[in-house]
Amino acid sequence: MGQLLGIGWQNVLDIALNTYILFRLYVLFRGTNVLRVLFAMVVLGVLRQVAVSMGLIITTWVLQGVIAVAALVIIIVFRNEISSVLQTKDLKSFFWGIPRYQLKTPMGIIVESVYEMARKKTGALIVLPLNKGLESVVQEGIPWQGKLSKEMLLSIFWDDNPVHDGAAVIQGDRITDVGVILPLSKRTDLPSHFGTRHRAALGLAEQTDALVIVVSEERGKITLVRNSQIYDINDASVLEKLLVRHAGDDTPARGFKKHTRELAVAAAICLVCVTGLWLSFSRGMETLATHDIPVEFINPGQKMEIFSSSASSIRLLLSGSRPLIRSLGPDRISVKLNLANAVPGINTLAVSRNTITLPPGISIKNIEPAQLEVLVDVSMQKELAVQPVWVGELARDLIMTHASAVPQKVGVIGPNQVLRQMHTLFTEPLLLENIHASGTLTADIALNPASIRLADQKNIKVQVAYTVEKREKTPQ
Amino acid sequence: MLSVQVSDLKTDGFPGIIKPMNTTFIRAAAVLLLLCAAAAAGSYALAQDQPKSAAPPVLVLAVMCETIENFKPVNQAVVFSISLGRVYCFTAFDPVPEKNDIYHRWYRQDRLISNAKLALNPPKWSSFSSMQLRDVDKGAWRVEIVDSQGMIMKTLRFSISD
Repeated sequence: MGQLLGIGWQNVLDIALNTYILFRLYVLFRGTNVLRVLFAMVVLGVLRQVAVSMGLIITTWVLQGVIAVAALVIIIVFRNEISSVLQTKDLKSFFWGIPRYQLKTPMGIIVESVYEMARKKTGALIVLPLNKGLESVVQEGIPWQGKLSKEMLLSIFWDDNPVHDGAAVIQGDRITDVGVILPLSKRTDLPSHFGTRHRAALGLAEQTDALVIVVSEERGKITLVRNSQIYDINDASVLEKLLVRHAGDDTPARGFKKHTRELAVAAAICLVCVTGLWLSFSRGMETLATHDIPVEFINPGQKMEIFSSSASSIRLLLSGSRPLIRSLGPDRISVKLNLANAVPGINTLAVSRNTITLPPGISIKNIEPAQLEVLVDVSMQKELAVQPVWVGELARDLIMTHASAVPQKVGVIGPNQVLRQMHTLFTEPLLLENIHASGTLTADIALNPASIRLADQKNIKVQVAYTVEKREKTPQ
Repeated sequence: MLSVQVSDLKTDGFPGIIKPMNTTFIRAAAVLLLLCAAAAAGSYALAQDQPKSAAPPVLVLAVMCETIENFKPVNQAVVFSISLGRVYCFTAFDPVPEKNDIYHRWYRQDRLISNAKLALNPPKWSSFSSMQLRDVDKGAWRVEIVDSQGMIMKTLRFSISD
């Protein structure tokens, strides 16, 4: 597949590997503010590239500085979130696992436990995070990682339990942290009966998308806080409904589909980003290469024959990324010239980009020659007289009185238009300097133009018999 | 500059080729020939009832030479040095039944360079054409002797060398 697209398997592996790394980062940091800042950095990076291309020197410089600072900000400000991602996950979840968040949360257990605690006037603070991470907002939690059960919840908030004052965080079917200190809301319009638990619940809801359930120790009332909204719960079914809605208002099956779809979209975006990045890098490493490609003539007319061409191959100056250029072989490039409209005689054919087939990602910088002269004609055979051609200088006291060639005539095949104009075949030049007496020489036939050939495929040798005599009279 | 010189030579004979003969013998032979010709022509006209067609001139000599002196070709050859400056094509016809034209067609390689028209007059006639040579004219040449009907009577092939 990679080869089909003109990309080597190494490049496919490169893209796939980095796509997975990016996707894993998304999965691990999903819901945290780190991801948002990373997105912001990407946007800033794009803006910086735009500024560079537009030649905005100061803007480029400022954006570069902001990006550098943002990188530091991520490490310093979100160190808790980063460390929680890197430390709390086991290797499987780090490299492979996908957290399911609230989808597997048994809401019935929570509702039942909450009502039990309300009935017993046991104070409780239960946090159900959604997408945003809590790490940068909450403090001093104690990792718990206990399987969620009614008994577990009741024991956590039992008055004698050391961690009962803090909040319990539930993710999926597990109680992940207990004794968590939540930020307090600074609102002044809260009812007077709201205690610290309510204020803490509201404080967290103001800063995250988590849902917080508060059980009042004094009044045994249940309050649900989400998105700065406060709901007094008097009915167990209402509480369960609100909890389900918080988890996505889906049945487990639909929720799973939605979750899978979200991850698929994320994976696709990662793939697009990495591919774009790869193309950007590979374009940055653009290189040039020259290839000599043989010309292929297609669709010659019936009985028509190609007798000659001004060039048999085309030199292409190609441009593309280094990996593509390296993997480019002559077998993947073709130059096809269509002779469908050719007429007998010399046809001038343009070698345009349309006549050249190239793999994707490769562009043509130069074509040489840009046009070809192709002799196309109906083939014919003709007998031509053979004439010796003498060159050089005959000795001054000699005169060549006779020269004859055997065979006297030779059959040739060539284009009709050319052979109609031809009446003689000439031998290769015969040197006169070496001639001092009558004799015989052997010579080849000079086939000119190149579009003609001997009818008898054998290379015919011409025997030239000549007679020289002593010059009697010197011309005046 | 390339130029062609054309010349017609009225000759009683071709010195060195046809020897002079006894006048009385010639007259007797001529009378005899005339009588025979008249008889033959009469019988032919009666039999065919068609117009008489003249016989074509007969080419008896066609040579390339370095020069012409006293109506004779000098140094017949097939290779000529460019230093000669000019080359000649000499042709002789015998008999020439009636006034006629012939052509000397000069070709360098296969390209027609000159087509010299030469007149022939009875009873026999010699004529020549020539070609002035330049340095670029080195190579293979031929001269076609063509009658008035366009038929090639003879082709002479030669080379111009250094």
